[in-house]
Amino acid sequence: MNRSSLPLLALSLLSLAACTNKGGADTTTQPAADSARVVNVYTHRHYETDKQLFAQFTKETGIEVKVIMADDDELLSRLEAEGQNSPADIIITADAGRLGLARQRGYLKPVKSAILEAAIPAHLRDPEGHWFGFTVRARVFAYDKNKVKPEELRTYADLTKPRFKGKVLVRPADNVYNQSLVAAMVAHDGPEKAQAWCAGVVANMARDPKGSDTDQLLAIGEGQGEVAIANSYYIGKLLTSDDPARQKAKNAIGVVFPDLDGRGTHVNISGGGVAKHAKHEAEAIKLLEFLVSDEAQRLFAEGNMEFPVKAGIPAAQVLQGFGAFTPDTLDLAKLGSNNAAAVKVLESAGWK
Amino acid sequence: MSTWREHGLSAALALLVLAPLLVVATAPLHTPAPEWPYVGSTLLPTYLLETAVLISRTVLLALLLGVSTAWLVSANDFPGRGLFRWALVLPLALPTYISAITFSALWGPTGTCSLWVAEHTGLHIDLLTPSGLAYVLALVLFPYVYLPARAAFSGGMSAQLDAARMLGGGAVRRAFRVAFPLALPAIGGGGLLVAMEVLNDYGAVRHYGVRTLTAGIFRSWGGLYDSGSALRIGGILLLVVLLLMLAGKLTDRGALRAVSGARLRPVPLTGLRAALATTYCALILGAAFLMPVLALLSDAFRSSNWTSALSFLPAAGNTLLIGVLAALLTLALALVLSYGQRRTRSRSGLIAGIGYVVPGAVIAIGVMSLAGWLTDLTGVVLIGTIALMVYAFSVRFLALATQPLRAGLDQQPTSLDEAARLLGASPLRTFLRVNLPLLKPSLLAAALLVLMEVVKELPLTLILRPFDTDTLSTKVFEKARIEQWSEAALPALLIVICGLVPVVLLDRLLERKR
Repeated sequence: MNRSSLPLLALSLLSLAACTNKGGADTTTQPAADSARVVNVYTHRHYETDKQLFAQFTKETGIEVKVIMADDDELLSRLEAEGQNSPADIIITADAGRLGLARQRGYLKPVKSAILEAAIPAHLRDPEGHWFGFTVRARVFAYDKNKVKPEELRTYADLTKPRFKGKVLVRPADNVYNQSLVAAMVAHDGPEKAQAWCAGVVANMARDPKGSDTDQLLAIGEGQGEVAIANSYYIGKLLTSDDPARQKAKNAIGVVFPDLDGRGTHVNISGGGVAKHAKHEAEAIKLLEFLVSDEAQRLFAEGNMEFPVKAGIPAAQVLQGFGAFTPDTLDLAKLGSNNAAAVKVLESAGWK
Repeated sequence: MSTWREHGLSAALALLVLAPLLVVATAPLHTPAPEWPYVGSTLLPTYLLETAVLISRTVLLALLLGVSTAWLVSANDFPGRGLFRWALVLPLALPTYISAITFSALWGPTGTCSLWVAEHTGLHIDLLTPSGLAYVLALVLFPYVYLPARAAFSGGMSAQLDAARMLGGGAVRRAFRVAFPLALPAIGGGGLLVAMEVLNDYGAVRHYGVRTLTAGIFRSWGGLYDSGSALRIGGILLLVVLLLMLAGKLTDRGALRAVSGARLRPVPLTGLRAALATTYCALILGAAFLMPVLALLSDAFRSSNWTSALSFLPAAGNTLLIGVLAALLTLALALVLSYGQRRTRSRSGLIAGIGYVVPGAVIAIGVMSLAGWLTDLTGVVLIGTIALMVYAFSVRFLALATQPLRAGLDQQPTSLDEAARLLGASPLRTFLRVNLPLLKPSLLAAALLVLMEVVKELPLTLILRPFDTDTLSTKVFEKARIEQWSEAALPALLIVICGLVPVVLLDRLLERKR
């Protein structure tokens, strides 16, 4: 049987290989001239808005956008394994730390673009052009309007006051937004101070960290805590939801932008850069530039509740209702270089 | 054909399957781990402890549920028995992460059911906890115990049970002193599968905040940016699995072998006993299958119009195509390995099955590293092809295919082969004309098991897929990642439906074999 099964196996493998080429990594085998109308995107973002934007880009430029969407760490591993054969032209993640890491590992190449530089404030892009932020999210507090006065929550440190003992809701430490908030604290004031803050939060927790950001907001609606740390994006989504199960939380929640020792509110970005071995660099830059066009920035704001990076484009109505805020202008690359330290700080503080 | 060539072929195929895992196991040799001193001393003890606690709780509960229901439907007759007998398999169609998250939306601190209970009784229920996770996982995974236990009870031990009854053994004594010990290898094998499923789960443990070894892999990888440490934890995971498999062998050795082939005649239950048996099975089926499916249905109805179901058709098509290809390749590999084991006592096939417990994302790293090296050597680009995905699935799910095939081959006495050979048939002809036709039900069972798992699988699919190729599970992931659970309900339901077909077929098949 061995003799007969081997050719069979080989045959089935061959036929597999044959049927892969139609959707797959054809860009590496095609001549450059032919492939000029395509841009290959590795993205961690999984939003309808992004799909709409890519479709719009194709309509306006004739450039086809091919997408692989997966978790950012896995995308970076895939880039590592692919090396110079990688078909990726653009890498997009929803965390500045990962962009910094991608740069550090040599997955990105610096590009110059007057359009990108004009549209994006300097602290939201890499100084040498390895990556560019195109939307901002803030890590803010949602509080129970019936029990908490917003004046009680001016700073992140306020969360550790005895007033909020047993009242704080937050998700587990393996969440990237928690890690990047703590990484910012480490970057500003060192690990000891960051750890003291984490320990203070742990001491005030209403319950063990569990669930998602949205779960923390729902818990406020049910009176299981008085203040939650959450991403502005999820609060915006909740406040515009018509799901009956979310109405209680919707009615109970107020939002403050806490301040980090006079430096403003912690923010993170979604952003992207051109891949080191991009075979469609010009198209890739065009797509990045498209993502900071007024049209795209408006869709990010309205359709996806993110803060646009471009001046003059208003945030979604519901986010504007939270009031104006000052973002922390920390060099976002530092979120990446301090992420490991943040993980350790969270762990030592007993933040599960 | 000489034995050493068959040995060689088995070993070569096993190596093909093991190669990505070897990349993981040999990580200390080729991948630096700057954070390992911290991970090893500070994080690892917690991960090991929480893994051990979660596994023991889940396996115990799954054994309790699986053995009790299997005994009820095999040895007794009560209203609804015919329905429960097959319906208790259905929870297998639910991916653990979908079940776990649906469960928490119902019984978590702000869950619909918890809030209802709190309003009416003042009792606050919160099952979004480590023990709650064990309940959910056991509810989804107990069919892995139920199926083999039911098979063991139903066939093969009626003589012993009749003897026990004639000697005056009561129902309870018969169950505990005769039936359970006889079924121990089957039950132990099922428990082992449950433990492995718990080990490789990531979606559910992350949502419940339980830190298992697999969670540790992701924290090292994504949080500490240290894939070296992640791979080392992966290596430890492999060790844990080897220990579990060894333990499995021990239960195997101590067991009595069933002799009679007669089917067990169920004892009719009456009155209160019958009512209790029906209620018990109904409760388990309700909690494990009906509750999550109804919750998904109500979410899907509220958040999707049904024409949008059509938009998932291409994804469903991809899912099935990839699943069928993976099932075929896995089956081919498993067939060669199991047959090799029958003829040469080669252990290659057994070891090659270890991929089953390794988290999909870790297998993906191994597979991608290998493919990357191959590209450097030959220029052939494999990453992002369906061929590589299908290969990765074979690495991951080989054990699922080899188990039924080995069991099937074991049932064929070697005298059959010898008779064919004496009559002048070549080994190949013997295999094709004697062994293979007899193996048909096992082949189908093996293919269905693999198909069912590929439909549910997420991490491997997510990272290895070609551009613009969606499957149902990646569709669920898209919505789930941004906390839009209700929008994830429709593709999740489609996964359950796709999973139901192989599950039900599998059950029919196992029943017919008896």
